[in-house]
Amino acid sequence: MAALCHDIGHLPFSHAAEKDLLPEGWNHERLTRELIASDEMQMIWNSITPPLRSDDIVKLAVGNKQAPDLKFSDWETILAEIISGDAFGVDRIDYLLRDSLHTGVAYGRFDYYRLIDTLRILPPAPSGESEDRSTEPALGIEHGGLQSAEALLLARYFMFSQVYYHHVRKIYDIHLRDFLLKALPDGKYPVTIKEHLEMTDSKIISMLHEACQKTDNPGHHHADRIINRKHFKCFYQRTPNDLKINPAAGRLISEAAEKEFGEDKIRYDRYIQESGIMDFPVLLKDGSVVSSLSLSQVLEKLPVVAVEYIFNDPDLDTENTVEKWLQKNKKDIISQPEGEDT
Amino acid sequence: MNYSQQRAVIIKLIKSLAENDSWCGETHIQKASYCLKEVTKTPIEFEFILYKHGPFSFDLRDELTAMRADGLLDIEVNPYPFGPSLKVTETGIDVIRRFPKTVGEYEEKINFISGFLGNKGVAELERLATALYVSIPEEAGDRAVQINSLKPHISLDLARKAVTEIDRMIQSYNGLP
Repeated sequence: MAALCHDIGHLPFSHAAEKDLLPEGWNHERLTRELIASDEMQMIWNSITPPLRSDDIVKLAVGNKQAPDLKFSDWETILAEIISGDAFGVDRIDYLLRDSLHTGVAYGRFDYYRLIDTLRILPPAPSGESEDRSTEPALGIEHGGLQSAEALLLARYFMFSQVYYHHVRKIYDIHLRDFLLKALPDGKYPVTIKEHLEMTDSKIISMLHEACQKTDNPGHHHADRIINRKHFKCFYQRTPNDLKINPAAGRLISEAAEKEFGEDKIRYDRYIQESGIMDFPVLLKDGSVVSSLSLSQVLEKLPVVAVEYIFNDPDLDTENTVEKWLQKNKKDIISQPEGEDT
Repeated sequence: MNYSQQRAVIIKLIKSLAENDSWCGETHIQKASYCLKEVTKTPIEFEFILYKHGPFSFDLRDELTAMRADGLLDIEVNPYPFGPSLKVTETGIDVIRRFPKTVGEYEEKINFISGFLGNKGVAELERLATALYVSIPEEAGDRAVQINSLKPHISLDLARKAVTEIDRMIQSYNGLP
């Protein structure tokens, strides 16, 4: 039940601009919790033998991070990790495979049968001390499944860098956010259960078409960009060289571009993968447990997905104005070190 | 403290932990950051919840990843069978240099925490940080029992020792000039 309910709080078009379009203190996980605890769902939980408790479902469906007010046993923490964890979460296994199929790319595939067969609950691997090791159980894998875990994490890396965070896909998220800020009442999605359930992808698509046709609609300008593919163009993305000069290079260029061309002509987007080091316990044939990173050079070298884009209104770019400006000024902009006087 | 100043403080903490012989894995940094926030009241904005090995911040975990992506930290893979460490890069050191006021303001607190925790392993850090976690509500009852209830793999005996040790840490900090 928890796995089935994991995504029910999502807004139309999933994560697109959730932070800007929900009232303060809300996110899709909170909507998921509200739905699981709702009277309608409670009737379902009560009809099952034995009846289910909504708090138990909430814990496993959204995990420790989104339910810090609930007390998790070790077992519940591991079950929640099986549903939505970073390394082996079934949510991730599902969306990588499904999105790979529906977008027609080959990146997201891996041997999930082997991965699932070799998952184990293990004590943590040693981290520096031979005695006094924690015995808190963690989700790990048998040695024989390590390559399938590598394949999952490579699939994630490629899907994020080539599909989810492709610059054209990202700019449409931004245009959609700009549209919804104008089109929704007070620029926010409703959070009552009834109204949330009425908000579907189809409804937003209808709103977009209607706004595109009516020039007096407050969202007309942004809807026109989406429907007629007049999206902003990417003129900068982060490079290792720029980062070495200044880790804040992207933000500084974006601020300078806004100053030069106007805030409404420039959009900035930055995303860095949300997860930790892929260090999980691996069970060897002799019964010992070791760190995944001490066995796998693939995991050791796997890059963090990090993108930073700056886009400009295509109307600005009739004579490569923005590119020329960037070429002329980039060095000066990024060489200003951010910091404090002594 | 703004985003960049907070980064400088965390990088300084990691550097200071390494100088105090810490293994500097993610768990070591998580627990040291939690103690820095709660014992010394350094205003880092990460929210901690009770999770793996005690108090844990998902925001801090993501920030450590972001710092790796920005070239401020590097993973150092340790010899088989051990887990990895995080190491401050030259670019990271440069961030510390660029925020002398902020780093200077919190340096004594950072040095206190890394001096106290630097030589401790994951299991001990887990016990100490969990002891601190249950000490924060003023109406806390028998803290050792609470630790044992929240983390059943920590025995009551070890939980009692952790409570004594965390009290000693807080007293030592309060006794600083």
